[in-house]
Amino acid sequence: MPFKSLRKKKPESGVPTDSFSDIAFLLIIFFILVTSLKRIVGFETELPSSKEEKKKSEDKTPTVTLKEGRLLFCDADVTMEELQEKLANLKLAEKTKGDEKIILLDATLEVDYQSYYEVMSSISAAGGVVGIMTEDK
Amino acid sequence: MKLRRRRKLGISVPTTSMGDIAFLLIIFFMVCSNFAKESQIKYKPPDSVTLEAVKNAKVSIVIDQESEIYMDGQLVNDVKTVKALIEKALEGKKTQEERMVMFKCDRYIAKRVFEPVLDAITSAGGVLVAVGDKRKDE
Repeated sequence: MPFKSLRKKKPESGVPTDSFSDIAFLLIIFFILVTSLKRIVGFETELPSSKEEKKKSEDKTPTVTLKEGRLLFCDADVTMEELQEKLANLKLAEKTKGDEKIILLDATLEVDYQSYYEVMSSISAAGGVVGIMTEDK
Repeated sequence: MKLRRRRKLGISVPTTSMGDIAFLLIIFFMVCSNFAKESQIKYKPPDSVTLEAVKNAKVSIVIDQESEIYMDGQLVNDVKTVKALIEKALEGKKTQEERMVMFKCDRYIAKRVFEPVLDAITSAGGVLVAVGDKRKDE
């Protein structure tokens, strides 16, 4: 007659790990959905304060003007490509003094951000510093 | 006569390391993820040919197509509040990298709306990082 063991079976202890990979894959799906892997593009610039610009506007700082759909560089009509060329000719990146790098940007209040942005990015790409001319209140 | 039955080969995908691989992937996504705080804000960014990759700034200002201003995904009522919030966010920050403020604005917004915001960023001591899209057609 076989003997039945009188010893009580110990309850098995251990962390259940069967569903670990399922949980992990759910988390992966979550992170894939909320992650934006798009590279951010733009330009970085430190804008001088408006007071400084007013002082500078009296001397011969190059000025880009946007008004009534026109783009002017030092009061002469230009296209965006011509402006980029003229800015490149100024060799702003090579200038050591901060003041010499400033290009003033004057625009009417109705100008849209697209045109303004293109001019700002062109100045920045040429190594210049954008000086925004503000309207008197 | 006894015929020996051929033993079938048990084919199975080894799944022991699946959990480890999955957790490694999670860590990767956690490290490189940038939570889309502003996904609900509708705006069309401007484009330009002269743009480069920029670093992600901690402070972000967005002006949407309805001319509403958002700071870090939260609607802000006026420019004065924007300036005060930027000043608070940049408190104690000294380096240029720490003072970066990301600026995103809808391309059709007029200067009368975005200029005071740019002025607020500047006067609060922020370094402007103007975000746009790289134009592909040229």
